[in-house]
Parts: sequence; structure tokens; C-alpha cells
Amino acid sequence: MKLQTEVLIIGGGATGVGISRDLSLRGIPSILIEKGDFASGASGRNHGLFHSGGRYAVSDPGAAQECMAENRILRRIAPHCIEETEGLFISLPEDGLDFRDQFLRGCEEAEIPATLCSRDEALALEPELNPAILSAVKVPDGAIDPFTLILENLRDAENHGAKFLLHTETTSLILNGDRVRGITAKDLIHGEAYSIDASYLINATGAWANQFLKLAGLHIDMALSKGTMLITNQRLNQRVINRCRRPSDGDIIVPNDTVSILGTTSLRSEDVENFEVTSTEVSLLIKETSKMIPAIKEARLIRAYAGIRPLFQSGEKGNDRAISRGFALIDHEKREGLKNLITITGGKLVTYRLMAEKTSDLICQKMGGNISCLTHMRPLPGADHPSRLIDRLRKISQSISADRGEILCDCEMIGREEVQDFLKESKLKDLRDLLHRTRLAKGTCQGGFCIYRLLGVLHDLKMGEVDSNTVLKGFLEERWKGIRPILWGTSIKEEELIESIYKGIFNLTPTHPSPLEGEGEGGGAG
Amino acid sequence: MHYDLIIIGMGLSGLMAAKTATEMGKRVLIIGKGMGSLGLFSNTIDVLGSLPETMKMKPHRQTPDGDTKTHWGEHPVPAPEDQFTQEQVSGPLGTGIRNGLSQWVKDHPEHPYSKVGLERIEEALSSFISLFPPPYSFEATIDGNTLIPTGAGTFRPTHLIPVTMVAGTSLKEGDALIVGFKGFKDFYAHYVVNRLNCQGITLPLPEPFDREITATALARLMEKESFRETIGKEIKKQLHGQTRVGLPAILGIQNPFKVKKGLEEIINAEVFEIPILPPSIPGIRIFNRFKEWLIERGATFLLGHSISKALLKDKKCKGVDVLNPPILNSYFADRYILATGRFIGGGLVADEEKIFESILGLPVSQPKEREEWFQKSFFNNLSHPVHQAGLLTDSSLRPVDERGDLVLENVWIAGSILAHHHCIDEKSREGIEIATGYMAARMAFSKQY
Repeated sequence: MKLQTEVLIIGGGATGVGISRDLSLRGIPSILIEKGDFASGASGRNHGLFHSGGRYAVSDPGAAQECMAENRILRRIAPHCIEETEGLFISLPEDGLDFRDQFLRGCEEAEIPATLCSRDEALALEPELNPAILSAVKVPDGAIDPFTLILENLRDAENHGAKFLLHTETTSLILNGDRVRGITAKDLIHGEAYSIDASYLINATGAWANQFLKLAGLHIDMALSKGTMLITNQRLNQRVINRCRRPSDGDIIVPNDTVSILGTTSLRSEDVENFEVTSTEVSLLIKETSKMIPAIKEARLIRAYAGIRPLFQSGEKGNDRAISRGFALIDHEKREGLKNLITITGGKLVTYRLMAEKTSDLICQKMGGNISCLTHMRPLPGADHPSRLIDRLRKISQSISADRGEILCDCEMIGREEVQDFLKESKLKDLRDLLHRTRLAKGTCQGGFCIYRLLGVLHDLKMGEVDSNTVLKGFLEERWKGIRPILWGTSIKEEELIESIYKGIFNLTPTHPSPLEGEGEGGGAG
Repeated sequence: MHYDLIIIGMGLSGLMAAKTATEMGKRVLIIGKGMGSLGLFSNTIDVLGSLPETMKMKPHRQTPDGDTKTHWGEHPVPAPEDQFTQEQVSGPLGTGIRNGLSQWVKDHPEHPYSKVGLERIEEALSSFISLFPPPYSFEATIDGNTLIPTGAGTFRPTHLIPVTMVAGTSLKEGDALIVGFKGFKDFYAHYVVNRLNCQGITLPLPEPFDREITATALARLMEKESFRETIGKEIKKQLHGQTRVGLPAILGIQNPFKVKKGLEEIINAEVFEIPILPPSIPGIRIFNRFKEWLIERGATFLLGHSISKALLKDKKCKGVDVLNPPILNSYFADRYILATGRFIGGGLVADEEKIFESILGLPVSQPKEREEWFQKSFFNNLSHPVHQAGLLTDSSLRPVDERGDLVLENVWIAGSILAHHHCIDEKSREGIEIATGYMAARMAFSKQY
């Protein structure tokens, strides 16, 4: 199929979808292509921290200031994607108080509202904290739901005429002198081939930036840093808990809906597709985060996951944590003479909007026009809706009281009707997209039971045409990546149960690799 | 209170040990938190699903299922001159599986089966079978393993099957109607038939059961004649020439044979059960039968209780404390059998670094590091090493340490907690439980001790 557009955006993370919305509000037509589902990369594989900028107040004042400014804007335009939890930067005896004082000064400079709390005040706010803490600094951190944020940007962009192609991979770049004429692409599920011509192209592929640029024979200096996170099966803290010291491994605990997310590590990674969580990382995270909240030692973990941070290197080498978390907007016209190609990479989830604004400004400049950005003024479509958790609880209470069919996912209380409605409404190409968009399989058993039920429901709806056992095995293999690193205690019992069901009762055996293998599941923060 | 034998664990191995000791005229106390994996997975009695390569088996029929084909593909296709299938069956083991087991024992000297030995495995299985006289009996075929359909539309090999599953074993393309129920989320007829090339229907349940329903509730309802009649008539309406009808394994808990016959009379076709997600109703039936038999013969049952402490002294277990808050009772015996199962049962406990035995603190044979517990992929041609972890014993099932030195003199180990088996992949769970439960009790009262 031949398509033509003004701006072609490659990459369906927060940045790409944010650009799509920004352009659409300026009245500039665009198509976005994404080789997986939305938020398959770092946008969906992070701890869901809604930064105040505090984490960079000392090490990277520029990034800290950017974070805080965007923090204020997102509270206005996307309140339904954010839980305003506040955050505490706690000082343990081994940390001393020197860093805390630098931190307070840094916050002041970056205009991050910071309040010093005594040990007792902090413990009153967060009873699970290590009682040995010296003090805590309160900042406006929060928790953000990246997937909803992206879907909301998508909804607004679509309302304003933007187009999206999921599960579609760029296969080649068509160069024409000093311009890129367009790309060829392929639908990875149905196999359809596309040829898309565009006046401008934006490479918003995050960690995949160089893979895309390679098609044009270009390269930028990036460091890929793997960050690993763990999810507990209960929410241990109400506020984001940070260690008040220079950013390092295992220094943050983010509350997220009903769980807490423990993060992170920082390890160089060469491969953006295949990376695993090691047991050393898991042990390190538990050891470090339990210094802040001792109950973590006894908590049940439900999953481990990792994401790749795309960090842009502007010359410096060495410690990845020292590389700026600020973003890089690269005009390939200035850099290599390719007139209509832009790369946007680096940055933080919380600065996605600013990155989109700056990228769109550059597009406008290249087009010779001067249309102003509107994204900081206009709330996202669902902004006046109640928060997600309340919404969900209401839905659950309805599904229990009324005759709305059985509960398929016992851990997360997802009813059959919710799934059926979802399947009817959306034109999903892939089962994983459904799992990505609901809380199905996100709970304690990680889909061990409900995946079979979901496939059963698909058969009842005559939608289960593919070989369900291949899909089932693919799902279990993907699930395995998340649970293998954390199998002890109660989790190992669950593992024995699930293995006994699928290999035992159902006699599923290893066969050829399934089509689902080797692809990211995404949606880390849930 | 003093007993001849205290059995810790009420799964299939503990029950089997209790039966064996009771038959020997011993005073037996059996203590358990629950029925172990019996009520979760034990729909049928597996003995050895993956028979050794040297085994020659004769498939009953072509199966329409890909997985099973793969399974068969892993084993040599039967040769026409197959000498074993011609022999007569003697004892509970079909000749096929006996030859398979005898090869298995040779190839795996550390395996629990090798400690029990072929002869005692047969005695144990005979003893199990004798507990289930007709009409709800267990059956096996001469070739050893039978293939039964499952809730995922696959076939699985197993050894002994209850009479309620027999009609499913010779399933042919198109000759069965598979029935599921609306509101019952652990079985999907259309999922099953998609792979078996049969017809499937999902029946609504009569009010007030037409919302969400569990396997246990459904099984109890099936025992009510009026309910059965409603279901039976509805199935009959939808029957179009099929000679058999497959239902999830929920055909009653107390009297499944009556439920099956009752349905068959209404429908006028053979009815069979298909194993589904836990809980396993057929497993609960096995538990109930053992319990009834043991109580009738004077064994003492402490169900729902767990051991808070074992008193160990001079390489012996002297007694156990059972805490049932707020009451703490102590029980004493000359001999003890530990049959507490693996992780699900609570016999083994894992922390971040190591695997422990939970009650007596016995040494657990295990991989060196947690990183080695599991393979990188879930479905792997190699089993996950952690499943081989477990307790080491001498030839009479008494616990020993890594050097082979006896740890406790009056304790015997039975069931899946034993090391050196992969019961999930081998499809040997119930066989190991029955054989070692039987053996442990026999050894505990043998002359040598």
C-alpha cells in the first residue's frame, strides 16, 4: 500500500506519540509507525516515577529544572494519568547529611519545592520506613501511568487527524539526494508491505535510534543502559521513597496502584531486544531498597523486568549515571546534510511533552512556518475523569453486583464482560495488545490462570482461530522472563502450580519456538 | 497418646503409607495441613508418561493433536514384531509399562523408583487399585499408558484412569460432543474441540446457578438428580449423531459412577470426564476414599493441622508438637514418615539463596546457586534442575546427608519431596507417591529396623 504524509514519525513511545499529538494540534498531518505496540520500549519499561526533578537536583541541574517545569504542566493537562503521591528523599546514617544539604540547595536553584522533615515526621508519613533514618526531604514526586498517558495523547492526536500503524516495521529508507523521500515498511502480523512518502521524518525510536539511522548510513553516540526493576505484590509505601545521595543502584521505591516498584540498576547493554534480569541484580535491589523499607525483605515479589535507557552521549565517557538525562534533538541537516530527518532521543518520560514541543518547533522551522505549540495549554481528553484506581474499583463493584459474567482474572478482578467489550470495541491485531491495555495477567499469578481462560473466551467468541496452545506457550515463555529471577518463597510454589498445570495436566511440551518469543512484553509499570 | 507410626503429610504418599501400615495392624496417626497436590493435579494415576527410548509402545490410534504427535515422535514408532504387546498382563502394570519401568530403573539408579524396585511398585499399585472396587474403579491398558484428552485439547499419557474417563480414551475425529458450562471459567468446550475436530457446546446453567460457578459446586450439583436431568436433556437436544459426550471432570464427588450412568441414560451416549484446571475433583475423590477407609479401620486423622515443632534427640524423632491455636498438643510414636511434598505442599521451602526441608531440618540436595534452579526458557528440553532437588535417602528411604550418613534413624521419607526425579516432566507423580508411600511404611516395620 502506498501512503503519503507531511511528517512521518517512527516510534510509538511517549515521545513519538507526543509529537503526533503536538503536530496534530498545530494542524500538521502525520503518520506514526511502530514495530510493536505502543510503549514497548523504555516508555513502558520504567518505574513509573513522575519526577519532580529531585533525583537530578545535584548531579544534573538542567535536567532537574526541565523535569520540574514539565511536572507542573502535566499536573494540569494529564491529572488522570498521575497519582500525586509526593516523594521523600531519606537520609540513612551511612549517607550522612552533607548530600542532603547540597540537595536542598539544588532544589532551591531548580525551583523544586522541598520541605525538610524530621525523622519522626517522616515516620509518621511512611510507617514502613527504616526507623534509623536521619531525616527526609519532601518533594512533589508522584507516580505516572505511562500507558494511559500515551493512549490519551494518541486519542487526542487521532481526533485531530493523525494516523497510526502498529506492528509495522521500517524495512528501508528511500534516499533522494540530500533528502529522505520516504520509507518502506512491513506489517509484522499480516505481512502487508507499505511504501510511505513524507516531507519530513522524525526518528523517535529511543534505544533503537541507531538501528533506524543505520538505514541511512548514519550513527549517533548513545549509551544503552539497562535498568532493572522489581514489583512487590502489595503497596508498601504511599509516597515515592528515594535515597538522599547521588543516584545509584536500588535507591528508589515507587508506589503504583496496588503495588510498589523497586528500582533500579544501571548496566551497559549492547542489545536493545534481548536482555535479561540476573539474580545478582535482583539480590542487589532487594539488599539496597530494604535499607529504606525493611519489609521488602519479607515481601512477595511478583515480577522482575528491565528497560533500556537511551542515553545520548555528548562527548563524556565513563559512569552512565553521570550522563545527562536531558534529551537530544538532532537535526541531521546540520549534522550530515540530510535536510528532512530529525532524531529525538534521551530525556525522561516526564519531559516527553517538552521533547515533542521542541521537535515540532524544529519541523515548523524547516517548513518555514511559525505555528505555536498548544500541548501545554490543552488538557488531554480524559483529564476531567476521576483517577484510574477509583474508576477500576467502581467497575469491579459493578461486575460483582450485576450479572456481568464470571471473573476471568482473580488477581486483578477482570470480568469476562470487560474483556469481551474490549475485544468488540477495538481492532486489536495481537493478543499481547489486549494484555497491554487491561490489567489482565498483571496480578500475583501473572496470568498463570487467566491466560487459559482468556483463550477460552476467545474461542467462545469464535476469535480463537490461531493455534491457542502456541499462543499459550508463547505467553508462558514471555511470563517466564519476568518471574524466573524471583522464584523463591511463595513465588516458587506458584511456579510449581503453573508448571504442573500446563506441562502436567495439559501436557504441553517444548516444540518449535513460538511466534511470540523474543519480543518485549512492555507495560512494565502496569 | 502414643502411636506406632506418625505420618506427616496427607497427600497421596502419606495416605498410601497410612493404608499400608494400617493393613499391617499398626496404630497410625496421620497429620496434614491439606490433601497436598492430590486435590490439585491428580486426575489419574501417572506412573511413567515418558517411557524410555528403548520402550516399544503401540499407540491406540492416530491422534489429531500436534503436541501428542510430538510426544510420540520422541519415542520410537512401534515395530510390528513388538514382543511385549503380545504378552499377558499380570499384576497392575501392563507389560509395556513394566518393561519401560525396568529400563528406567536401570538408567536412573538414584530415582525413587529404583529404591522401591519393580516388584514393590507393582504391589503398591495393586494396593491402590484394591481401594477402588467397581463401580468407581481405576483401569489400565495392556500397553501401559493410555492417552486421555485434556482441557487444552491435547492428549496426555497416563497409566490408571478412573472409569469415568474411559470413554474419552478412544476418541475419534468427530464422534464426540464436548460440553462446557456458561459461568464455569475453568473449561472451554470450543477450546478443546478446536484441536480435536469434534463439536462443542457451552450450556447455560439453570437458575440460580447461572452466574459464576466453581468446579466443586458444579460437582456437588451434578449429584442432584433434578439438576442432572436438566443438563442431560439439554445435552440430548444438542446431540447430532455423536456417540460420546465429554464433560469437564466435575461428575460428582461422592458417587461419580452414578452421575455418569444417570447422564448416559438420559443422553443415550457414552459420557466421559476431561481433566481441567485445579482443583481436581477426581483427586478429591481419591482423598475421600482413603480417608473413609482409614477412619473405618481406626487410623487417626488430624486434618488441617500443621506441625509446629519436631523433637529431635540422639538421631531420632521423639515427638511432634501440633499447634491448633490456642491449643498445643504433643504426639509421640516409635516411627515417623515424612510425606510433606515439595513447595506447594510445604515440605520444601526456598529463600533467596537456598532450599530447606521445613519440619525436621533435613539436608536438601540442590543446585549450588539460585541462578541454576531454572532453565532460561520455561518450555525446555531439559527439566528445571530445581525439580530434582529434594531429600536423599538410603535404600530403605531413611534420610541421609550428602556423605550418605544416616541423619535420623526412625524417620522414613515418602513422596515427591524425595530427590532425583522430575515428576512433572516424567509424568510420574502419583506413581512415585504410591510406590514410596507404600515402601516407606513397609520399611518402617521391616525386621531390619
